[in-house]
Amino acid sequence: MELLFPHGFKYPPDFHIPSPTGEELFKIGPVGYTNAHLTMALVIVLLGSVAILATRNMRERPGGLQNFIELLVQGLSDFVESIGGKKALPYLPLFGTLFLFIVVSNWLSVVPFVGQVTFLHSPTADYHTNFAMAALAFFAYQTEGFRHLRLSYPKRWFNFSGFKDGPAIGVIFVLVGFIELFSELFRMLTLTLRLWGNVFGGEIMLVVMSGLLLIPGIALPFVGLEVFIGLVQGLVFALLVLMYFILAIESHDEEHEEGSHTDTDRVPSPEIHARPANAA
Amino acid sequence: MEAIGAGLAIGFGVIGPGIGIGILTGASSEAIGRNPDAGGAIRTNMILGAALAEGLGILSFVLGILLWTRIGG
Repeated sequence: MELLFPHGFKYPPDFHIPSPTGEELFKIGPVGYTNAHLTMALVIVLLGSVAILATRNMRERPGGLQNFIELLVQGLSDFVESIGGKKALPYLPLFGTLFLFIVVSNWLSVVPFVGQVTFLHSPTADYHTNFAMAALAFFAYQTEGFRHLRLSYPKRWFNFSGFKDGPAIGVIFVLVGFIELFSELFRMLTLTLRLWGNVFGGEIMLVVMSGLLLIPGIALPFVGLEVFIGLVQGLVFALLVLMYFILAIESHDEEHEEGSHTDTDRVPSPEIHARPANAA
Repeated sequence: MEAIGAGLAIGFGVIGPGIGIGILTGASSEAIGRNPDAGGAIRTNMILGAALAEGLGILSFVLGILLWTRIGG
């Protein structure tokens, strides 16, 4: 008993709950440098060095690391194409970067000592990081929307075209536009809070569970759950950003009929092909 | 009082998303069972919808955390 509990037995124990934000290590001018920043730099160095190692001497027949990275990139590319077709492929770099960074950060939060010692704190368990990513994605997709649709882009928020069908429909269109405008702003908030809540909540759950279950290692299934949730949340964040991009560059007007159908609509049916052949 | 409020906020706040995700997952499992070829598209939409439903639960979690920091936990 003495050996197992040197500080005396206490149940439930005192939990060391990780802090909801990073803690300041030192100041650079007025800006604090937190442990989340430090861990973020570590993640970036890790991802960057893996990328450099994999592409340093590329070969025609890839082996080892290059093979794995090619599999990953091809998988992400196929995924993006299955979501938005060819026109979504330009957003693959942003999608993949967000996905890899978030997943590695999420997985760091279940690594022992991260979030418990003073100089390590998972970046996505600090909502400032998540808000920065959400804000960057927000400005990026708004810019893409304006670049693709020019001045007809804001028409989805301020839509007065319904008035030619009567005042009631016009008012409804204007109200729908207002809802769209506010949902744009809420997207940033929900992107931030969803990721932060999941990662931070997972950290708390791991601390509490391993404290309550007493025997070391019995909380391992929860670690597995957190690894899965980290993967899904990284995918969800990146996927939602991708969807916002696709929605932003999609026009709501008449050219919807010709250009922006999904791939399944474009598959020609055999009857349409057969008819001109019969006529000729 | 804040402690009770934090518990209630999380407890009641996750009822709705729980029901929503349950319905969503059940319906999409049924859909995949009927049409396994469309499984990929259905699964993507399911994850998206689950994330959107879950966001509401997370909002209540954030409220709980805010109250919890007030009681100095």
